Amino acid sequence: MLDSDGLRVADDRGTLAVDAVATPSAVKAGGAALPAFLLAACGGGGGDGATSGTSSSTTPVTVAPVALSAAQSSRFLGQATMGATRGSIDALVSRGFEGWLTDQFAMPRATSHWDWLVKNGFNVTANMNIETGFDPTMWRQLIAEPDQLRQRVGMALLDMLVVGIGGVNLSWAQFAMAAYVDVLLDNAFGSFRTLIGAITTNAAMASFLTFLNNRKANANTGAQPDENYARELMQLFTLGLYQLNMDGSVKTSGGVPLETYGQADVTGLARVFTGLQLASNDNTTPDRMRQPLVMNAGLNETGTSTFLGTTVSGGGMAAINAALDAIVAHPNVPPFVSKQLIQRLVTSNPSPAYIQRVATVFADNGSGVRGDMKAVIRAILLDSEARGDAALSSASAGKLREPVMRLTGWARAYGVTSPSNAWAIGDTSSPSSRLGQSMGRSPSVFNFFRPGYAPPDTAIAGAGLVAPEFQITNEQSVVAYVNYMSTLVANGTGDMKPDYTALAAKASDSAALVDEVNLVLAAGQLGSDAITAIRAAVDSVASTATNAATLRTQIAILLTLASPEYLTVK
Amino acid sequence: MSRFQHDQSRRAFLRRTGQLALAGTAAPFLTTLSAIGDAAAATATDYKALVCVYLAGGNDYANTVVPYDQASYNAYWAARANIGLQRDALANTLLTPRTGLDGGRQYALAPTMGGLASLFADGKAAVVLNLGTLVQPTTKAQYQQNSVKLPPKLFSHNDQTSYFQASSPEGATSGWGGRMGDLFMSGNGASTLTCVNTSGNAVFLAGKQAVQYAVGTGGPVALLNNAKSLYGSSTAATTLRTLMTAQSTQMFANEHARVSKRALDTYATLSSALGAAPASGFPLFPSNNSLADQLRMVARMITASQTLGIRRQVFFVSIGGFDMHDLLMAQHPTLIGKVSDAMKAFYDTTVAMGVAQQVTSFTASDFGRTLQSNDDGSDHGWGSHHFVMGGAVAGQRFYGRAPVVGNNTADDVGQGRLLPAVSVDQYAATLASWFGVGAGDMRTVLPNIGNYDSSTWNLGFV
Repeated sequence: MLDSDGLRVADDRGTLAVDAVATPSAVKAGGAALPAFLLAACGGGGGDGATSGTSSSTTPVTVAPVALSAAQSSRFLGQATMGATRGSIDALVSRGFEGWLTDQFAMPRATSHWDWLVKNGFNVTANMNIETGFDPTMWRQLIAEPDQLRQRVGMALLDMLVVGIGGVNLSWAQFAMAAYVDVLLDNAFGSFRTLIGAITTNAAMASFLTFLNNRKANANTGAQPDENYARELMQLFTLGLYQLNMDGSVKTSGGVPLETYGQADVTGLARVFTGLQLASNDNTTPDRMRQPLVMNAGLNETGTSTFLGTTVSGGGMAAINAALDAIVAHPNVPPFVSKQLIQRLVTSNPSPAYIQRVATVFADNGSGVRGDMKAVIRAILLDSEARGDAALSSASAGKLREPVMRLTGWARAYGVTSPSNAWAIGDTSSPSSRLGQSMGRSPSVFNFFRPGYAPPDTAIAGAGLVAPEFQITNEQSVVAYVNYMSTLVANGTGDMKPDYTALAAKASDSAALVDEVNLVLAAGQLGSDAITAIRAAVDSVASTATNAATLRTQIAILLTLASPEYLTVK
Repeated sequence: MSRFQHDQSRRAFLRRTGQLALAGTAAPFLTTLSAIGDAAAATATDYKALVCVYLAGGNDYANTVVPYDQASYNAYWAARANIGLQRDALANTLLTPRTGLDGGRQYALAPTMGGLASLFADGKAAVVLNLGTLVQPTTKAQYQQNSVKLPPKLFSHNDQTSYFQASSPEGATSGWGGRMGDLFMSGNGASTLTCVNTSGNAVFLAGKQAVQYAVGTGGPVALLNNAKSLYGSSTAATTLRTLMTAQSTQMFANEHARVSKRALDTYATLSSALGAAPASGFPLFPSNNSLADQLRMVARMITASQTLGIRRQVFFVSIGGFDMHDLLMAQHPTLIGKVSDAMKAFYDTTVAMGVAQQVTSFTASDFGRTLQSNDDGSDHGWGSHHFVMGGAVAGQRFYGRAPVVGNNTADDVGQGRLLPAVSVDQYAATLASWFGVGAGDMRTVLPNIGNYDSSTWNLGFV
């Protein structure tokens, strides 16, 4: 069948049963620059790795490239960046997905959070015990840095490997957090094992999950090592609570879910995460907050530690590395991490087949490498479940748009910058006056929302689905969000002002105006009722009225931002 | 009340009166009320509120309700000298119950908890000892042999938070506060406000029909500050409301619209009722205390409830920061002090409001912690000591059984992680019974309560 752009897509017979779609999914690394679903005739692009098992032929068929539609481009950018812009939509249409990914994977970071803080003079004694600088550097990179895929993946990793600045009990907390976010960004396209190693020796993480200066057991006082990192590393960052199949389903025995670890494993593993301390005693500068932690032999447990059916001994970084090797090698890691990355980037309820396709790539990228983040990201974004049109008409596909991304999406679309370099958006955690979410400010290691959250008393929960972002959606937050955006849309904040010039040129034609806003902000996903209503509201301001172009533009934007169809990302 | 709220009450009432018919009406109406359950509430003219004070992160029981008799104190000190409280600092908050504990056991509250200590002395607060999540009564031997069903994922924050609140691990779709709300919604005008949360979303308040309402410490948020126009257009302002609440065949969009609709429909009624009970009329609450801010809003909501015809209400307030794997000595005294100050101010406020007998508050937490330290903090535990407070509470008493203090005693499962002697179900059933939940409805509210001998359902503290 043909979709509305005249492109060939596979039939979809169901809403949740996406694995019934007879479309091979992942585009093989280095393959043609085509949307995945167009390769239906090619009989599979994923080689022996990422396959849904539904492809028949493996012989490539030459297919003439068909241009990406603007809506498809905007939709991809809504998943892969902090927000689409008219310029980036057009550029992606020309470049194609594969080319765009290649460009983004190769793009070096323009500047690190750490360097920006230093360059802008935040490393002064007056800032030693306050957080000044943290929010500005975060908002600036999310909104304005060109390495947008890296920013998007970094944000997903921060939602998963959580550190919140409020729980970092260190001087120079803004620097410590900057160094942590830099670890996530610097490793976003690398190896998952390297990433886990880097967060384990990071000062902010060690403070947040309380293993800085963690002591080995003391028989005299009865003190035992702090178990916090051992538990949360396994429970939240790598394994989860229950053994998983590669499709994300829970393994059971006699109907009872099989656990991945018990209290004894936590206690055993905790012995390994002892002895790590800051690299120096010099607190006059922030420098030690980004140096990897070093081992204090006096605090470190060198005896035997047993956990997850493994034993390490001898202590030191060697024991830590052996422990991390064992954990990352656990069969749970591919499905556990893959499913969460899919939830962050694409949809809250991926099909088991989608999870399996991505987890398979995580386990082996096709060249024998485990945890190749580039391969995993590519597999997620190019999968038919992410690119295909089935999700657009499904009752249950997609996700609620994270509040932070609603703000960055508007800011990017309308050229919001900070001429003074202040980037003074600030902390947006307040659910009564802001977004109820702010990057790097989670109140606990459980993030603003849990991957398994299902809003009670809803059709979503009744259908056995999850909707993590609904955990921060309530009667306060939904109104506060609209109020906050209504002021931003009209006035920006501080010196951060939107530039509606291009839109204002279309403002006298409500159809063109609303179509453009719909395309850039909502990937064209507003329904006809919403479009009609927004146009009528736009037209209620006569084009001859004072300031008409601006007011009409603002109305189109805010009403779009408030629409449930915009708030749902498909 | 709005048509939306009226519909909710009506639907709930019809659902319940269907069961009323099944219960039979041969006997005189009044004597069948307890068997029927909520019919009493549906026709009750009095008001009652339960307030869950949630200490997020797992409160350290040993430095909250501290062993004081010399033998127990010595064992406490031996277990956690580097995070222990000095005995002579505890003298001012020593608890003197009506009847002494067996074996000369004594407890003092943390030195910063003068507020709750004075309420205990006045008979308005009680301590429930060694309470925690269980599926059924569990001995240490049974725990070690894994021969009885245990709550899944003990020592995991999110699962135990859910289990305490809902009798089910993370992913639970309703909690016992919400399930109580289900029974009483039909008797409430403005039934949308049956279950009220001042700290976001919590499964505790999710019912099978009752949907919790989130309100901030500043009251409900006014859309566009009640402006009638948006960017100069009244059409745009109207369209905004229409779009925000537009139904959809897409589930996520539809659910977001439902939340918005609840917010917008409830705003006028609630803000008007709260306007008659401004914050300035509630001066006893300390500043710089987020729990106090929330309890002030609860007090204002209770005042509003009298004009809105609400008769049974369940509140949830919460304060975080208790997961003290480190910095326990530096942070715990202040934090638990804030809990004590906020709760005392709340009690005193209910007295001034004339509703002290009608409001019962109780603490809850993910779990207790280890008795032994990890050098400067404690790790995840299980059983913990909790507080109940209110004019109807039989205070100045301990409930439950004082656990032996130490490591690997009969009462702990290692490192002083207490094996609960009282279950959350029994704690909840006691509160529910006071609230008006009849014996016949108790299993609906607490699915595991049937695992306990019914003579132990009511601990007697309220």
